[in-house]
Amino acid sequence: MCFLCCGFISAQEVITGTVTDANGPLPGVNVILEGTTTGTTTDFDGNYSLEVEEDLGPDARLVFSYISYETQQIAINGRSVIDINMVADAQSLDDVIVVGYGTQSRAEVTGAISSIDTEEINSLPVATAEQALQGRASGVTVINSGAPGNSPAVRIRGLASPNNNDPLYVIDGVIAGGLGSLNPNDIENIQVLKDASTTAVYGSRGANGVVLVTTKSGKASQKAQLSFDSYSGVQFNSNRYDVLNTEQYIQYAREISDPVPARITNPQYADLLDNETNWQDELFRTGVLRSFNLGLSGGSENSNFRFSGGYLNQEGAIVETEFERFNFRSNSNFDFGKLRFGQTLNVAFTVQSPERADGGRSLIEHAIKSAPYLPVYNPDNLGGFQGPNSPVDGQDAANPIRVQTIGSAVNKGVTILGSLFAEYEIIDGLVFKSQAGLDYYKYNNDTFIPSYNDDSIGSTGSIAFAQITKNSGTNQSLTLTQSLNYKFDVADLHNFEILALAEDQRIDSESLDANSQNPISDEVEQVSNNQSDLSSSSSEYRRVGFLGRINYNFDQKYILAGSFRRDASTRFGANNRWGNFWSVAAGWNVAKESFMEDSDINNLKIRGSWGTTGNDQIGNYRYSSTLVTSFIYPFAGAALQGTTAEGLPNSNLKWEEVTMKNIGLDLGIFNNTFTLSLEYYSNRSDDLLYELPLPLSLGYNVPTIASNVGSVETNGFEADLGFNDYEGDFTWSANLNLGTSRNEVLSIGSLDQVQGGFFENEYLTRIAPGEALFHFYGLKTDGIFQNQAEIDEVYTANPDQTVVQPGDIRFVDINGDGDITAADKTVIGNPYPTLTMGLNLSAQYKSFDVSLFIQGAYGQDVYNTNLYDLEGMPRLFNSGVAVLDRWTGEGTSNTIPRALGAPQNLNASDRFVEDGSYTRLKNLNIGYTFDENVFGESLSNLRIYLSGQNLITLTDYSGLDPEIGVDNVLFQGAGAIGIDRGLYPQPTSITFGLQLGF
Amino acid sequence: MKKIKIILMSFVTLFAVNGCDEEDFALSNPSGLSPETYFRTEAQVQSAVNAIYANMQTIGLYTRLYFFEMDNMSHENAGNPQLEADKRAFLEYSFDASHPPISWYWDSCYRGINKANFVINNEERINAIPSSLLSDEKKARFIGEAKYMRAFYYFLLVTRFGDIPLITDIPDDGSGFPRTPREQVYDQIVTDLNDASQSLWEKDRTENGRATQGAAYALLGKTHLYREQYQQALDAFDDIYGEYSLEDDYFANFREEEEFGPESIFEVQFDDDLGNSAVWNSNSSGEDANEVTFRGQEYGFNDWFNVYPSEDLLDEYEEGDIRFDETFYTDGDSWAGETVIRTGPAPSPVPEGETYIPLERRAAWRKYQNYYKDVNEDQASGINMKVIRYADVLLMMAEAENALGNQSEAIGYINEVRERAELDPLPMDLSQEEVFDAIVHERMVELAGEQVRFPDLVRWGLAADYLSEYGFQAGKNELWPIPNDEISANENIGQEDQNPGY
Repeated sequence: MCFLCCGFISAQEVITGTVTDANGPLPGVNVILEGTTTGTTTDFDGNYSLEVEEDLGPDARLVFSYISYETQQIAINGRSVIDINMVADAQSLDDVIVVGYGTQSRAEVTGAISSIDTEEINSLPVATAEQALQGRASGVTVINSGAPGNSPAVRIRGLASPNNNDPLYVIDGVIAGGLGSLNPNDIENIQVLKDASTTAVYGSRGANGVVLVTTKSGKASQKAQLSFDSYSGVQFNSNRYDVLNTEQYIQYAREISDPVPARITNPQYADLLDNETNWQDELFRTGVLRSFNLGLSGGSENSNFRFSGGYLNQEGAIVETEFERFNFRSNSNFDFGKLRFGQTLNVAFTVQSPERADGGRSLIEHAIKSAPYLPVYNPDNLGGFQGPNSPVDGQDAANPIRVQTIGSAVNKGVTILGSLFAEYEIIDGLVFKSQAGLDYYKYNNDTFIPSYNDDSIGSTGSIAFAQITKNSGTNQSLTLTQSLNYKFDVADLHNFEILALAEDQRIDSESLDANSQNPISDEVEQVSNNQSDLSSSSSEYRRVGFLGRINYNFDQKYILAGSFRRDASTRFGANNRWGNFWSVAAGWNVAKESFMEDSDINNLKIRGSWGTTGNDQIGNYRYSSTLVTSFIYPFAGAALQGTTAEGLPNSNLKWEEVTMKNIGLDLGIFNNTFTLSLEYYSNRSDDLLYELPLPLSLGYNVPTIASNVGSVETNGFEADLGFNDYEGDFTWSANLNLGTSRNEVLSIGSLDQVQGGFFENEYLTRIAPGEALFHFYGLKTDGIFQNQAEIDEVYTANPDQTVVQPGDIRFVDINGDGDITAADKTVIGNPYPTLTMGLNLSAQYKSFDVSLFIQGAYGQDVYNTNLYDLEGMPRLFNSGVAVLDRWTGEGTSNTIPRALGAPQNLNASDRFVEDGSYTRLKNLNIGYTFDENVFGESLSNLRIYLSGQNLITLTDYSGLDPEIGVDNVLFQGAGAIGIDRGLYPQPTSITFGLQLGF
Repeated sequence: MKKIKIILMSFVTLFAVNGCDEEDFALSNPSGLSPETYFRTEAQVQSAVNAIYANMQTIGLYTRLYFFEMDNMSHENAGNPQLEADKRAFLEYSFDASHPPISWYWDSCYRGINKANFVINNEERINAIPSSLLSDEKKARFIGEAKYMRAFYYFLLVTRFGDIPLITDIPDDGSGFPRTPREQVYDQIVTDLNDASQSLWEKDRTENGRATQGAAYALLGKTHLYREQYQQALDAFDDIYGEYSLEDDYFANFREEEEFGPESIFEVQFDDDLGNSAVWNSNSSGEDANEVTFRGQEYGFNDWFNVYPSEDLLDEYEEGDIRFDETFYTDGDSWAGETVIRTGPAPSPVPEGETYIPLERRAAWRKYQNYYKDVNEDQASGINMKVIRYADVLLMMAEAENALGNQSEAIGYINEVRERAELDPLPMDLSQEEVFDAIVHERMVELAGEQVRFPDLVRWGLAADYLSEYGFQAGKNELWPIPNDEISANENIGQEDQNPGY
């Protein structure tokens, strides 16, 4: 017995060891004796212990494998202790990536997907993840704004619609309104779905691409880990427009004004003439950035969790602009064998002090135009500010500091985003999943403007009462998804995956807007019944979809995929409520062919896809007619309500449909040391949803009819080039991505053009067949008329005109009719970049790491309305120094016209259009990671870093920032892209951060 | 087999459970009323009628631009340096078809017309309301108000644009209507006003602000006068002659406290107490609380002072015409600040108790200003704009009589107006031409800054004589261009249909 016993034991041998990665012990790693079923996994501390038979041959090897790490085969060679270090696999072919309604092995992907490595963006001082997407993925154009808390414009593969070009955001499987409420630190990975084979599964919402976000969760069998990340720093803007100083301004005012403003000529007002105010310096400041994040994660054998809390505070580079966010997140998963449960929950509280505007003009416009001799503050005036008095100063630019800082403006938001799901494996490979997702948003936007008078002897900038506005509302989206997924193979070679899914989304919105005035007190910030205005509204929107999808591959060599989705939306009438969307795709993994076996090419895949997706982004109830009751007119001293028909309904309204074609190639050489991806896409949007302007003479209250008009074609190339050296003490990588996009409007129904982008009484942009969406449209200039003879040469058909005189702009008579009219307008620019670029260089040497990120956009034009203020000289305002060189007589200038010249000088023209191309050193990050032993047992990881954002911008653009983002202040609408009306420029920021792991 | 059964059952169940009812998708807007169930109560009819008026309180009309457009084109105004380009364009006639103020004017009027059509086209439904709920007399009055207002807006349009789309129905597609010859538009105006004059109530029976029988006759007469149908004009005016009277105090016409006085025939209502939250955004829609006008702030010498009375206008007044002092502030006048107004270069320091008109202007507007009570204007003036008052009617009667050869009757009407101005009566032996000249003069000084001179000059054919020195082009600037916004969206109006010269 003893012998037997001993004999049994003696036939076995135990191999132990510890598996680690760069961050320390790695739990959950599979350890298998090659060619057997003998195996185990590492415990919390990365330790394993494996019993193997004695007398293993010399070839016996242990295989260590773990998702996203390179699998290692280690020869045992008779050792009983084997410690190994696992290396993260940068781009493993066996990666599983998240796709719409599921996951997929990267090898089996047939569509165009960009994956964003969140490691790179975690230490960026950005408030929202969209900002960090900029330049990180080919074909994804992000146009940032400098205002804290504002979400940027994200455009996937360019513009495809005159309507809505925002992508669909899906967070942990839940359709959400955006990423603004997410803490970027909680994000595990982001996938951008770009073609039909990946977006058609989202049916009526997939047309503009899909951004899939997966948040971090704990790992099974993982010891509890605590992480603490923090950064703080400053942001500032050092760019300024070069405007006239007090002496120059007074001289300029004397020269162009008739009569000269009394402020200058009359000693009575001279007490305000001595100041030298640089309004831009008063407006900009150095803001402080702070962020703290705490994460706790862990897991047992059959459950895992992660909790996190975050605080972010960003003071903007413009006074009294600020964004603050508190985040809480909880993700957990429970595994009961065939039955699994999970949940995600994100709660965010946001507080934003937004940039404000006055009279439809931005702060920067007012700062340019304000007289430099006026002081910012004057305690003698009601409210304490000083502004111009129109008749005395001859101008009326508002004091931008008063506009931005008087009273208060606060936007508060609460977001709850979460999901619950259950999964049951009915039989092997057949999984039923049910998920409920909630995206709830509540906002309270309050402004309080006390009474003020910026000049005690007049009332140019004044109100005699406090104005209180309280707007609030909720938006609640509930999505229920039921799905069946069946994964099976036939003869180990034919792999099938079939998905059937039903989805039901309901969105309920409510709002309550109230404002009132208070003539007796500036103390009470509450609405009352004095001069009050109340309104509320609510709406419902429901969408139901059924989806089927089949993925097939033969031994991962030949891949076929197809999907079909049928969607119904309440946004359309009974005639066109249902829409069908489909896709087919195929791929060939050439590298898996036997003839490639000995090649250095480890990955070569050719793939293509074709299909349709939709866009239902138009207002609710546009297919039906209603009445509007918000008219008010006084009769006999009482304000009475009026009612009329809202507009012209369109009962035939239907989806906008995009047909997408994509071909792609993936290449990896020397075990993915070099990687290359190429894509070509061609998208065509038909039945464009558009609020088509009605003839004004129809007189409807809503002057547009929701319509399906025309088509747009968009196409472009994308390239991703990578070099990754993971060997040795010094490792480095370089990744370059390039994306081009070109769109052309094929038709807009029966119309010749649709105008947009209103500025100073004129439209600046246009949609017209044969041209790019939203192109700038105006006159072409050809210098300055130096004398009457030159004018007579142009105005041959209108020789009697007296408005245009020497010193005025010479516009080109495009139609050659001998007169300059609106008919001479032509295309003068395209606001959308033709090429976007991102270049990421990172290197690591022992404990030091450095990364450099360069981003650029090329080919876009900017309509710079600041030039109107700086060089336009419509009447007296402070202006750019260029006006000192204006035309004052024959031969004096051929670029800057005479002051107060012909009104046509200010018409939309190429005079105000500039090349907006830029290359920007977006981020430079230098870090140092301390040796784990320095701080003893409890601290497993400590990294400190210094990070700079927007450090250098190379551009010919003369404005403060060539990146012209969404205008959240002047609300110019979708048709007004690329117009710089004094947009909040992006600041430069310098931050210092630390990352701690316990 | 069992496995396949399970798989199939699973998929079938998934779709069966998630099937949905088509009716779940037919949502109705919880924020809006349905037109199918409207016009069932007096309050609903009343509300639909009220809405028609709201388009007068828009940026393109009486809230911000109408006074600039007319007073500038007639050069009753001269511009100060701070006058914005879009308003300066009317001094220089440099506007074109893309000029937004013109588009807003057009838009505001047509939105008013659509609202009127909404009432008129539902006449059957309104008449179906039982008399116990809404009396027949009131039903007729409501329809009458809608017809008056439709005529009012068409009159504003036809005088500025000539041939225009004449729409009297609720359009059910978006293609648009072609231009209708102006005479047909005038015919429609006459028809509507004839109808309205039969069903509207007299001034003392209606709420202040509503269209009255007198307003319908006055506009009817004015329409005939514009068409040079002098006898018909007189017939209409005769229906209100003697029903109204001139204010003893000329300036009472422009004081907020004395609105709807004996001389008032139709006014655009403004009331500072009723809300101005939408004043900056008072686009063409007429929506939301915007019961005030910028007029005071824009013209006021102690405020924005964008314009001032032109020399031509100031020089037109006869010696001793009391209207000069009532219409303008000049050196030596006193105002609400209880200070004395001074003109010319201001000394330093300005003596206590004096206020200088800026920019050394000789005079500033007093009419329609709040300076009789307040030192400063704001964007919320509550002074009503007078569309037609009795003095205007008297002078139009004079014009019609004179054209028919009845000089003595004409001179009688003119002298009624001159008497209030404390001027000597005109002699009775004037020729037709002399009477006409007297009317031209009298209308200019009596109605200065009341937006009648420019259309007067145009219909008299005198615009080029008076205005070409400022850039007015005969054969072109009598009319405005059809707005580009209309042409680009209207399938039945093309660039080739544009007014001459634009």
